[in-house]
Amino acid sequence: MLAFTRIDTKRIYRKTQVYEPDIVVILDEGLVETVNVVEGLKKGGIVIVNSAKKPEDIDVGIDVKLATVDATTVALEVLKQPATNSAILGAFAKATGLVKIESIEKGIMQIFGDRLGPKVGELNGKAARVAYDRTIVGQSRGHRQLKTAKKWLPDVNELPLGVAAVPMKTEAGMVGPGSFLESKTGSWRVFRPDYSKDKCTMCNFCWFYCPEGCIYRKGEEMEFDMDYCKGCGICANECPSEAIKMVR
Amino acid sequence: MVKKMVTGNYAAAYGAMRSRVKVVAAYPITPQTFIVEHLSEFVNNGELECEYVEVESEHTAMSTCVSASATGVRTFTATSSQGLALMHEILPIASGMRLPVVMAVVNRAIAAPINIWVEHNDIMPERDSGWIQVFCDNNQEVQDMVLQAFKIAEDKRVALPMSVGLDAFILSHTVEPVDLMDQGLADKFLPKYVPPGPIIDPDDVMDVGVFTPPEYMMEARFNMDKAMREAPKVIEEVNAAFAKQFGRNHGGMIDPYMVDDADAVLITLGTASSTAHEVVDDMRAEGKKVGLVKLRFWRPYPSAQLRKIAEKSKAVGVFDRAVSYGVSGPSFIEFKSAAYGLNVPAMNFIGGLGGRDVSLADVRFMYDRLLEAGKTGKVKREITWMGTRGVEQ
Repeated sequence: MLAFTRIDTKRIYRKTQVYEPDIVVILDEGLVETVNVVEGLKKGGIVIVNSAKKPEDIDVGIDVKLATVDATTVALEVLKQPATNSAILGAFAKATGLVKIESIEKGIMQIFGDRLGPKVGELNGKAARVAYDRTIVGQSRGHRQLKTAKKWLPDVNELPLGVAAVPMKTEAGMVGPGSFLESKTGSWRVFRPDYSKDKCTMCNFCWFYCPEGCIYRKGEEMEFDMDYCKGCGICANECPSEAIKMVR
Repeated sequence: MVKKMVTGNYAAAYGAMRSRVKVVAAYPITPQTFIVEHLSEFVNNGELECEYVEVESEHTAMSTCVSASATGVRTFTATSSQGLALMHEILPIASGMRLPVVMAVVNRAIAAPINIWVEHNDIMPERDSGWIQVFCDNNQEVQDMVLQAFKIAEDKRVALPMSVGLDAFILSHTVEPVDLMDQGLADKFLPKYVPPGPIIDPDDVMDVGVFTPPEYMMEARFNMDKAMREAPKVIEEVNAAFAKQFGRNHGGMIDPYMVDDADAVLITLGTASSTAHEVVDDMRAEGKKVGLVKLRFWRPYPSAQLRKIAEKSKAVGVFDRAVSYGVSGPSFIEFKSAAYGLNVPAMNFIGGLGGRDVSLADVRFMYDRLLEAGKTGKVKREITWMGTRGVEQ
């Protein structure tokens, strides 16, 4: 998923997507492995990555000014949930110097505080401040050729009638029903279920409630399909005998 | 007043609040949802004294607005795409009863294929519903046009409902700096509501929306047509009054830019106008004589104004974010009718459907095509499906 923003002191007329960014913010470190995240990045541009690594240990394929912060950990500590949007703003302030951290705190207080109450505003402002303090700004050396995941873009003659999702192989892999055999979604996860067979009574609640169908009954125990488990924690929440704990 | 960073949806809801609407009836649909959420918050916070009616469908939302408006109060709703389609049956009832209901329409693709992004194919089928229709290209304009819409719709010479269109996500969900107006200034511009026609009142018995036999229909329809024909005058007056009070002139029926000496003119609806504005500046700097007409009002349609511009231009292009299958973009059909008999090369560019990006390069492509047609007098391709894979450009 992509989102864009433009900042200027003059009126901005263009209402298009951004093709040549000055700054790229990556909220999910895993994307670096599947997408050329610096595509179109202007010379002298900045990359900000949500990662526990140091800037010099991240390779985005080019030599570039790069900042890292473990925004997920900051969010978990401060907000008690892995929502990284406010934390990453602190990293943005530190890495770019375009805006003061005090202004970010004020803005967050205004937006979050107005709509969700002062407590939520304060916590999100704190997340930004903590992330600001922990952000490491450095230089990354690009050594490897980044592979950009191919996209299936059929022309008018190849598109199935009525845009029916017909299972088929394309240059970008499988599409349509069944394509998730190839596209593992487990990497979206922040938490994973830690299952204790000893406490399990085989009540099957987790099996009923798992929205992804990732839990199987295997004889006298449950099995978790970690290729697709997104770590939502519903199983742990529903388990009456505390046999499932969510761990990072 | 300090400008605030708000979405187009917020701007629409804020405009309705500052218009002191007395009844809001709406049903949520992506990407309109935040408009009704913001309005419900305004009501809940006590900022807006208004009857907020939660309904079970858009059909009921519009029915409620019609009924409320018939009792003589200012009425607002908002919808999008399939929601607008579900309202379809009631839209001509609002206009036929001459009720100045105002509605924000977040323009989104109509299914199928299901898609939540911008397209104008949701509102195009409502062309003949008797609603005045405006398209915006920035969030400031969205707020300002909601207020202007009430003033236009409530004018005795008009007395028709009006929709304010904003492109899905490009405006609805994008934050831009907006001068959110003070209540005092809004009240000065849009005074207390005076219904333009008879209203339902228990103390003054009458019937509205009555069964009407053939002996009366021609006259009733003629009056609606007359109102739509007189609307441009009111629209220009309201725009001028707004510009005078607030210093913001969004243009009346159309907002022309650099067209006086232009060799090539592009006509656009919605946010593509804003992008095209930047391309005009770029190409003018290169010495290319290009101009832009931001077509603001779709109904009534500014035929005479566009014909005048077409008479002076060497080539005219029309950008459509919609298609009338088997013919062309709807806006191109209207333009050709307006330019009937003129010898100016005209071209239609269909693009941006279902949220496909309309880039600076796309607009430049259109102008290059037009300049070429202006030079040779020949139209290379009358209808171009912009960037459509497998289709000749």
